[in-house]
Amino acid sequence: MRPFLLFDTATDHLAVAVGDLEDRSAVLAADDFPAPRAANTVLLSSAERVLASAGLRFEHLCAIGCGRGPGSFTGVRIGVATAKGLAHGRGVPLVGFGTLDAVAAKIVAGLAPDEGQLLGVVGDAMRGEVYPALFRVRSGGVERMTADRVTLPEVAATEWAQLGRRVVLGGQGLVKHRAVFEDILGEDGIIADGALWTPDGPALVRAAWTAAGDSTVASIRHLPLAEAYRIAHPAALLPVYTRLSDAEEAERSAGRSVPHNGVAGPRGGETG
Amino acid sequence: MRVRRMDVADIPAVLAIERASFADPWTEALLRDELGRDDRVWLVAADAGRVVGFGGVMVVGADAHLMDLAVTPEERARGTGRTILWSLAEAAVKMGAERMTLEVAPSNTEALGLYRSSGFDIAGRRRGYYPKTGEDALVMWSRPLAPHVAAMRAAREGSDIILAIESSCDETAASVMRGGREGLADVVASQVDFHARFGGVVPEIASRKHTEAIVEVVERALESAHITLADCDALAVTIGPGLVGALVVGLAYAKGLSAATGLPLIGVNHLEGHLYAARLSDPGLEPPLVALLVSGGHTMLVHVPEWGRYRVLGGTLDDAAGEAFDKVAKLLGLGYPGGPAISRLAAEGDPHAIAFPRPMLRSDDLNVSLSGLKTAVIHYVERERREGRPLRLPDIAASFQAAVTDVEIAKTLRAAQEYGAHAVVLGGGVAANPALRGGLRSALSAVGIELNVPPLELCTDNAAMIAAAAHDSLAVGRFLGLDADAAPDLALRGNRCACGDRQEI
Repeated sequence: MRPFLLFDTATDHLAVAVGDLEDRSAVLAADDFPAPRAANTVLLSSAERVLASAGLRFEHLCAIGCGRGPGSFTGVRIGVATAKGLAHGRGVPLVGFGTLDAVAAKIVAGLAPDEGQLLGVVGDAMRGEVYPALFRVRSGGVERMTADRVTLPEVAATEWAQLGRRVVLGGQGLVKHRAVFEDILGEDGIIADGALWTPDGPALVRAAWTAAGDSTVASIRHLPLAEAYRIAHPAALLPVYTRLSDAEEAERSAGRSVPHNGVAGPRGGETG
Repeated sequence: MRVRRMDVADIPAVLAIERASFADPWTEALLRDELGRDDRVWLVAADAGRVVGFGGVMVVGADAHLMDLAVTPEERARGTGRTILWSLAEAAVKMGAERMTLEVAPSNTEALGLYRSSGFDIAGRRRGYYPKTGEDALVMWSRPLAPHVAAMRAAREGSDIILAIESSCDETAASVMRGGREGLADVVASQVDFHARFGGVVPEIASRKHTEAIVEVVERALESAHITLADCDALAVTIGPGLVGALVVGLAYAKGLSAATGLPLIGVNHLEGHLYAARLSDPGLEPPLVALLVSGGHTMLVHVPEWGRYRVLGGTLDDAAGEAFDKVAKLLGLGYPGGPAISRLAAEGDPHAIAFPRPMLRSDDLNVSLSGLKTAVIHYVERERREGRPLRLPDIAASFQAAVTDVEIAKTLRAAQEYGAHAVVLGGGVAANPALRGGLRSALSAVGIELNVPPLELCTDNAAMIAAAAHDSLAVGRFLGLDADAAPDLALRGNRCACGDRQEI
């Protein structure tokens, strides 16, 4: 057994899980609960408690994983910074996954939809906007169809309506914008139960195993520790913001060029 | 004060303290029974032979249960309780304990403050736990005891190695220090280039850059000190004041590092760090001191009667000095950061050319106000432009700078004389201003008071000063738990040795 710790703090619902790098179906322990604006105070105690419920401590961990968002900027950073500290302190790789991918995994686990079913996950981006991402059910899991971005709910709903297919909808963006998606998608929009809008521990484990690209479980699981640590170094993983800072957005909307400063991360808005 | 094993002869004194402290005190019979048991340790703190406090712990397997801890009312808030707590922890570690747990009434804020500031987290609540009052008990758990006890011992011997992290504004910094004085590594990754085009620090950009930089900065610090995390005794991090989003990154990272390694974590007040910067540059510096802290975020006068005790005497009522420099530089089109730009230009100008106001120069307190001065500069520039006169930028810069420094120097001189300071410490990024340094030095030397200005790299934000302050906190056993949060508005006050609220560092 090679246990690894996962958590997501991108929304006001905190999820923690312990998986096993040798068994993609294993969920050794898990918990999730609402923690609005409290991630920094409750995350590590919760992680310690969840580990203890599986008879484990931080020193047993072979990797750390965290949700990269998109979500609350500060919320995501608390998760990513804590994960960096844990992984750096243990000398183990740091892997990531998309927060919306974890929500999609939760919906699939809850509804067991048919192969090929489309899932539209809507994260709350505040300021009247959403983080929309489209997924498709494939082999009992999910396959991501669109990259992370931020847009108006009307824009996302219209694009999904144009697909002409049923879309199962979930995500905390629906708390504010459900009516927009219902109006525009009509009968093609099927709203999943509200309990499926936020990730839980098992959903994090599935999202972590599905994530592709650098700094993911897939990129390190067959490697010896030293090699895994080098290629999924705790310095490498960054949040997915999808938005620039307000100061840079103002600069861009004034028509000035925004110099590259890497604030969206080396891989821009994409989640692997 | 000395801590020793409790003896049967101590029981009357102990019971007197117990009865003065709790609604439902232990009885003599219970206490006598305790003293005979092998799995217990009872200690008393004695001052000149008089028992001033006591505590007891029971060790069951890897868990130490704190049974009782009390200090005589007139001796509270002097660090006695903390000394007893860590002495009990040390004894418990020798008996095989890994962690300590305890129950405390939520209304017992002094005790709660002591435990929280010793790194205990609240793990749960027992409803109606106290039979006499019906009050709930909070259940608290310590972090791993052995590394804390070992690090405290190392600090008292002066051999402790602390890795400190600072991320309160726009510098990501890490430092490694031995014994609170000997710097082994000091790394600062400045973000100034990313903020310059906005004319000031953009908090969201600062938070993002900290997240990108923090692991590499710490790695570079460890490498340059030729050590690994395993060689460290403790970690330290700035918890405030500062930009909340920026502080949170450093704190979350540091807590993760602490949880993963078991190393104790010490929270440091950034402003206290600026005071310790002076001690780093002059190890012989001894209180009583008055410090003028001037930066982009702070402008304040602080009285330091002894290390670890602070009182803010006055400060700016509006803009910080660095902020005023930035705003005037922006107005004059001089770029960011404004301080260096203005002081360079001022060197070629006449400080008497324009009679800008000296706000609050004659006020009967130690406060300053700088936003009115900034407005005066705006009005002057508008009038000159309206009347078609070319702006004499060097004269404006020199006259503005003279107005700021005149007020700061006058207030600092007054504070130093009122509080009988041996020396004045100048700290913060604005300490780089030559006019302020020079003016302050000559004003103070005229009355026989020494001026201590640390080298510039210790005046601007850095982690060496955080490590230096953390060393003193470590020696007395002040730690953060896993649930610690950033304190963006943290004040500089109080007595660091006391048991009070942990935010009063």
